[in-house]
Amino acid sequence: MSSISVGSQAHDLSHAGGHAHTQSFLSKYIFSKDHKVIGIQFLFSTLIWFLIGGLLALAVRWQIAWPWTKVPILNHLYAAEGGQMSPEAYTMLFTMHASVMIFLVIIPILAGAFGNFLIPLMIGADDMAFPTLNMLSYWFMWPAFILLAASFFVEGGAASFGWTSYAPGSSNSMTAPGSLNGQTLWLMALICVGISSMMGSVNYMTTIIQMRAPGMTMFRLPLTIWAMFITAILQAFALPVLTAALSMQLMDRLLGTGFFTPEGLTINNQAVAGGGQPLLWQHLFWFYSHPAVYIMILPAMGMVSDIIACFARKPIFGYKPMVYAIAGIAGLGFIVWGHHMFVSGMNPALGMTFMVSTMMIALPSAIKVFNWLGTLWGGKIQFTTPMLFAVGFVSMFIIGGLSGIFMAATPIDIFIHDTYFIVAHFHYVLFAGTVMGVFGAIYFWFPKMFGRKMNEFWGKVHFFFTFIALNCVFFPMHILMGQPRRYADTWHVSVFRHYQPVNEFITISAIVLVSSQITFIINFFYSIFFGPRVGRNPWHANGLEWQAPSPPGHGNFDFQPVVYRGPYEYNSPEVDEDFYPQNQPPPKDRPLVSEEMGH
Amino acid sequence: MGKFWSILFLCVTFFGVGTFMFGAATGVWLPENVGSETAYSIDHLFKFILVLTGIVFIGTEVTLFYFLWRYDGKTNQQPAKFSHGSHTLEICWTIVPAATLLFIAIYQLNTWAAAKMRTPMANGYDMAPTVEVTGRQFEWRLRYPGDDGILGTKDDLFDVNDLHVPVGEEVLVSLKSMDVLHGFYLPNLRVKQDAVPGMKIPVWFRPMKEGEYDIPCSQLCGWGHYKMTGRLVVESRAAYEKYLADLKVRQNSVVPPWAAQQAAESIPAQGTPEQTASAESGATSAGTSSNNTTSSLANTNR
Amino acid sequence: MIVFCKRPLCSWLIGSAICLLLTFAPGCDQSPPPRFHANLVQMDNPDNNVSPKHQQQIADILLAMYGTPDDPFVLPETGLDLQKIKVAAGPVKGYTQGLFRLHCVHCHGISGDGMGPTALFLKPYPRDYREGWFKFKSTPSKMPPTHDDLVRTLQEGISGTAMPSFKLLSQSEIEALVEYVEYLSMRGQTELELINQYKLADAFDPDKEDFPTTREFLVNTVLLGPNGPATLWKETASQVTAVPQPPSDFRTAASVEAGRQVFYNKGGCVKCHGPTALGDGQMVWDMWNESIHKLDQKVADSSEPAKLADLTAALRVDALPPRESEPRNLRQGIYRGGRQPYELFYRLYNGIFPSQMPGIGSTPGMTTDDIWHLVDFILDLPYQPGSQYHSDEHMKAPPRELL
Repeated sequence: MSSISVGSQAHDLSHAGGHAHTQSFLSKYIFSKDHKVIGIQFLFSTLIWFLIGGLLALAVRWQIAWPWTKVPILNHLYAAEGGQMSPEAYTMLFTMHASVMIFLVIIPILAGAFGNFLIPLMIGADDMAFPTLNMLSYWFMWPAFILLAASFFVEGGAASFGWTSYAPGSSNSMTAPGSLNGQTLWLMALICVGISSMMGSVNYMTTIIQMRAPGMTMFRLPLTIWAMFITAILQAFALPVLTAALSMQLMDRLLGTGFFTPEGLTINNQAVAGGGQPLLWQHLFWFYSHPAVYIMILPAMGMVSDIIACFARKPIFGYKPMVYAIAGIAGLGFIVWGHHMFVSGMNPALGMTFMVSTMMIALPSAIKVFNWLGTLWGGKIQFTTPMLFAVGFVSMFIIGGLSGIFMAATPIDIFIHDTYFIVAHFHYVLFAGTVMGVFGAIYFWFPKMFGRKMNEFWGKVHFFFTFIALNCVFFPMHILMGQPRRYADTWHVSVFRHYQPVNEFITISAIVLVSSQITFIINFFYSIFFGPRVGRNPWHANGLEWQAPSPPGHGNFDFQPVVYRGPYEYNSPEVDEDFYPQNQPPPKDRPLVSEEMGH
Repeated sequence: MGKFWSILFLCVTFFGVGTFMFGAATGVWLPENVGSETAYSIDHLFKFILVLTGIVFIGTEVTLFYFLWRYDGKTNQQPAKFSHGSHTLEICWTIVPAATLLFIAIYQLNTWAAAKMRTPMANGYDMAPTVEVTGRQFEWRLRYPGDDGILGTKDDLFDVNDLHVPVGEEVLVSLKSMDVLHGFYLPNLRVKQDAVPGMKIPVWFRPMKEGEYDIPCSQLCGWGHYKMTGRLVVESRAAYEKYLADLKVRQNSVVPPWAAQQAAESIPAQGTPEQTASAESGATSAGTSSNNTTSSLANTNR
Repeated sequence: MIVFCKRPLCSWLIGSAICLLLTFAPGCDQSPPPRFHANLVQMDNPDNNVSPKHQQQIADILLAMYGTPDDPFVLPETGLDLQKIKVAAGPVKGYTQGLFRLHCVHCHGISGDGMGPTALFLKPYPRDYREGWFKFKSTPSKMPPTHDDLVRTLQEGISGTAMPSFKLLSQSEIEALVEYVEYLSMRGQTELELINQYKLADAFDPDKEDFPTTREFLVNTVLLGPNGPATLWKETASQVTAVPQPPSDFRTAASVEAGRQVFYNKGGCVKCHGPTALGDGQMVWDMWNESIHKLDQKVADSSEPAKLADLTAALRVDALPPRESEPRNLRQGIYRGGRQPYELFYRLYNGIFPSQMPGIGSTPGMTTDDIWHLVDFILDLPYQPGSQYHSDEHMKAPPRELL
């Protein structure tokens, strides 16, 4: 059962997508249908927006720590009033920080960049099921980029009613400066992101179900793929509700409907169309946005699992429970959205039901954490940069997950809702969790993407400062008990005035955090051009993607991969090396441990 | 280097516990709780979950540190354990957390019901609201029921941002909003409820200690969200009633506060002679007598 | 390259230095301190047509007389308290200093021109102090408000508008802010008076000689002239309208009924407030918006737009788009100037001058009793059938049931 080498079959495979041999620059690099190029396009775009989102956050943090002082750089915009930010600018900054980070960074980088790049490679396919759709899913992000960037320059500025955009504030103009065209552009941009995600999700589901290499059964898939698959299903079911909600709000704003505004309301001395209910927006929005937060963590969990197994040189502990946990998180994710609305005015009886379901969703996450620890147990751990980030993910996710239990507890949520405890929680799971996972994934799969390795030393420096700084930024937020969110200045609340030194400490740490990313930026771009070249499998990992050239050419594999086992057979007794690629045929003279185990 | 990184991860544990201890020691902690059983129950639940999650946090993070330290590839001489998992362990660490979480959920149901579902009763009937609070961009408008105890009648008393309530008694707020969503938040009483336009939502609490507390807004409502902090004044029943009485006088005042300065003035001769005469007498006796007249007029039965 | 030199420590140090530089360099560049804006619209108003040279001279004079936003100054003849002004002026420091920028500037603007960044999105626009026209006061027509009027406005806010209540500030903070408002108002009025003097001196000739800048001229003619800002503000306390005693049947149903008769007949209220008192009568221009509107029309109708280039530019950068005002909906129970009966008396007796609401105090045949009856009617309106306070039918939340 030796692997089939380059031959006519592989040649046919590489033409399976129907590509012409010679491609223009435009169709090869700009409007490419090659999943790898599209993945890298997503990666570059999202990393640039990551920087923008981070700078927006710095402006927000400056105002919190030193309110009404001259903001660095931005003070030129506000020179007429003395260089201080105006309050509506503050609301705009945090709204756009969140919107950019969620819709233009985290969701596209996980599904768009890594999903695109890795899925065909890891399952042994030559490309996605629908390459043209894939290309469109990237280019549909561009209207979103342009609309959101443009929204800063329209009258009133960008959207400023929070990324949650609660009605009726956001569904009527004149409630806030950013509620003019800025909000409308925001809604249109998000619809574009939704279309892009939907295209991607259809593509991923089909590809994973239909295009796996021979021998790649579902339970031999790497956890990255499982995570991407289940995330794609999540997207498919949740997105339509968001699109509906966004369209309804657009109609409220542009067509004078009143889905979310009650009868007889006057805002800012302007009568608004009525007949609706503000809570409807919240239900629709959170019905999507809660699964969205799982969309924003599951792929990172999958990738972290792969990285940890690789560098612990051990199989994943409890592969099937891990898969079921991912499915459990996704499934339960659909019945917990009300926990964002405990004090919203919805029927309090629902507070009880959502409390129970939200508590239960902590369970699969806990199972995953225990399994990661089990993976580390008894291993031979290599402390490479990707491994540091992956272990960092686990360590930070524990904090984020545990703080979530406070929020699930409805009576406690009465106190901590809309306070910094919540901000701490979601930044732990999103930044300290997902973004750390993303960094790990970038360092890990960079050699496969670009054929060169990133610098290990500077990677570790990046990790070191990022890890320390982000804990200094987000952990102290847990003790800011009761300090309200979205406040330009907390001084007006006497009971929280003495928190100010902590706020200053957080801001200073945030400045350090953003500057530590400079190491990463330099490392990333330098290594693309000047990093040391590597072969196919620099990390000695098991996945199919490491069997393709670095970077893979058109059609990915120069042979037909056939899979014999799962992706986590590290230190297997069947072979002498401490790794055992999925497509390596089993030795003829050794017992087939992997088959006995049913993998 | 593995040891160095393991220590770094161990520092997370110390930093986490240390931050909470720092907060508790320096007063960056839960604000003073002046509420009654429900409010204290919330604090108790918070501390209970803090201890529980704290134990899990320390346990898992220390385990993480230990595994990183012990199984560092450069120093670990033993071969890696080729294990795909343990069915027993999986069952254990599914059932135990599930039971714990379910327990925590059920343990809290009563407090939630007390805080949000059991509206207060008075004499066997639904209690009448003590005050109607209407959020608007960017202030809290208050309406007290006045002498007849019914909201919406002509003797209602109005104020803004300065909510007075009697100590030790159940207070029922009828929460409304005039424009967008606002959040009625009493940090010292562990009360929070969004004010939704088009809805009238009951909020109840029993303040047990006199003093002045904040009413920050807890739901983004526009550029002035941060500025929308009102003041809750908890005072004795006597002081509360005096406040309402003063408010009533002020609200029905037909004499401006600077009326003493008007004593020398007189308006251009117009109207009936009695009018001019009463104007002069009224102007010279600015203060108590005219106030008495006003209040007696206001008390006229309708 | 990425390894700046052979030894890791050296690389590390150089790399850190570069990162630190990139981090802190942006903060080094600071914008200049804020300055008061000139009243460009009036300067370039074709009726005034102040030449650029004289615009600069006016600016210099104002700088000498009133200082800058960070460093204010007042002549003793203005009667203003410089200490209080200094508390309110300047950048925000520790919340006890720079109160105007802490609380007011983003709506009212650094010059008190009502054109802060938030102003464009507010309905109605924030107050422009520069003309010295205020709506809710105890003095008649063009007189400025008294100190107490301004204190009341700050404490109670103006309900129904974006001006919030600052009741929770301490008395000294309110005093400082009121003083600063008077300072900005007086400065604006001085600027207008200087423009006026320029006109009187028949100075349409741009080569005309310079403004006199003697203390005598500035104090005696400009500040303390018959319509000078200092004169007006000083006199205002003695111009407070006296409030007579209400009639004996005040706050009775009979009084309300009498008030209704006044509302529909001799009060002349229906024309603007509408027959249903919903404020759906004719729309009105208030004086600030009207002047901009007229200038807009002048530019639009002009046959030589090039001559009005300066004015066009000024209207674009130094004025908000003019809006008509709606007369008050009296059924909402929102009383912008305050709901105490004497406050309503003031509104009716004196009118609201800049809003073009006429005062009925001097209407022939109107007695003060009539006005009090009208006050009664207005206070009763929100409780009438059809008014918002009367019915909460749109409030959907049912009473909670016992569990």
